[in-house]
Amino acid sequence: MGTAILLDVRGLPPPEPFINIMQALQSLPGGTPLLVKIHREPYPLYDALSEAGFTWQTSVQTDESFQIVILRAA
Amino acid sequence: MRIASLSTEQSPPISIPFSFFAMAPLFLVLAALMLAMDGGNPFMNPHTPALLAATHCLTLGFMATVMFGAMQQILPVLVGSKMPASQQVAMVTLPTLLLGTLTLCSGFMLGSPPFLSLAWPLLGIAFIVFIVASLVSLVRASARNVTRTALILAVITLALGVTLGMFLAHGYAMGASIAFVDLANAHIRLSLSGWVMLLIIGVSYQVVPMFQLTPNYPKWLTAVLAPAIFIILLMSTLILFLDPYPYWLGIVTECLFWSLAGCFAVITLKLQWQRRRRVPDATLSFFRLGMISLLLAALFSLTQLLYPATVPDLRILSVLAFLLGFAMSVVHGMLYKIIPFLVWFHLFRGGMKSGVPNMKQIIPELWMRWHYRLQLGTLAATACVLFWNATVWAVILGLLLQGILLGTAVFTAIKVYRNNLERISR
Repeated sequence: MGTAILLDVRGLPPPEPFINIMQALQSLPGGTPLLVKIHREPYPLYDALSEAGFTWQTSVQTDESFQIVILRAA
Repeated sequence: MRIASLSTEQSPPISIPFSFFAMAPLFLVLAALMLAMDGGNPFMNPHTPALLAATHCLTLGFMATVMFGAMQQILPVLVGSKMPASQQVAMVTLPTLLLGTLTLCSGFMLGSPPFLSLAWPLLGIAFIVFIVASLVSLVRASARNVTRTALILAVITLALGVTLGMFLAHGYAMGASIAFVDLANAHIRLSLSGWVMLLIIGVSYQVVPMFQLTPNYPKWLTAVLAPAIFIILLMSTLILFLDPYPYWLGIVTECLFWSLAGCFAVITLKLQWQRRRRVPDATLSFFRLGMISLLLAALFSLTQLLYPATVPDLRILSVLAFLLGFAMSVVHGMLYKIIPFLVWFHLFRGGMKSGVPNMKQIIPELWMRWHYRLQLGTLAATACVLFWNATVWAVILGLLLQGILLGTAVFTAIKVYRNNLERISR
């Protein structure tokens, strides 16, 4: 697995986090995870990830923000 | 009305919320017409047919219609759970809600039992289907957050409020001898102070920090506010039916409710003051106006409860500030954020990767600012309506123009969506 690419969208108003994540995923090399830091759990994003063939894992951070690791499905 | 939709999995088709949003402004116009038909000043007596009809045009025709549509969209975004059978739920709830509201308001205006007898079963079907679908979605939701808790409590109070409303309408239609005043008070408490208040609280916990870029609501508040309001409302409603009525307990529960409501308003205003981006925004202005109105409603009611001999009309002013100032302003503000977001989201998700219109271009900001000024003017006129009869006409004109402006804004957004959809198909 390659080194993760970090994308911090905390504090951005909708729809900027969604746009930035989708743009980052377009150029994401296979096997490289995208590590997203976001202030809300982005439920609508999960559909988009599923449709575009990505897997993801979400964890809650101590400051109540969320960290999502996104990978292109094998 | 038919709106072509792009499919997305979790979100319902855009045609569902937009069908509700397109119909709602019509009831602002109808509310204005019903007040005009009174001919005098219907606000001087809360039981005048025109005021009863206009109030239900606003609460059912405008607010419930918007909320039914918005919940279909809010649930997947805020708690990650789609409403089950969303298209079928919309197909049942929209016509029954609209027809039920029209027959109920006609029944009030004409004093006609057949209209009322038709209204309560229609509204019953609309609300039962909506309540069951919302509860199923909330129970299934993967999120276990304070928004979900507040929404569950809101839906429970709605179920209780609607049951009483149906019982009241049936009683009016049959000419039954029931405790109308106590039942009406309980109905108003559960529907407005319960459903409307708890829904706005639950949604604000996420929408205010998300869209207005404020800090989060404090944890000590979110942990207790909605459950506390729910328990206090149940208590204050139950004691209405005790004989003899426990007067002091009634005062205490009402004071507690209004103190909590005022606390929510103050904290929201404080958070908005601390927002990170100080860019002018119509939604923020509507929300702020709503919170100032809620604070005034709380102050009016608390003053009347603690010093009953002061100004006799303070309770009526409190209800007007809550309904027209707080609830209506927040609903307008929410609509002006949800509608552009939906258009943008469905175009983007539907495959339009470039040239998606900016959210700010979907409804012109200038229209929203004019609508905000109209709402401000309508509220100023409402504040004077008990003391100066001529201002009734300013309230009527304000509601009428707001209905026309909001309707134009909704149809403009639909047009933007359709035009872009055609561009994708080509």
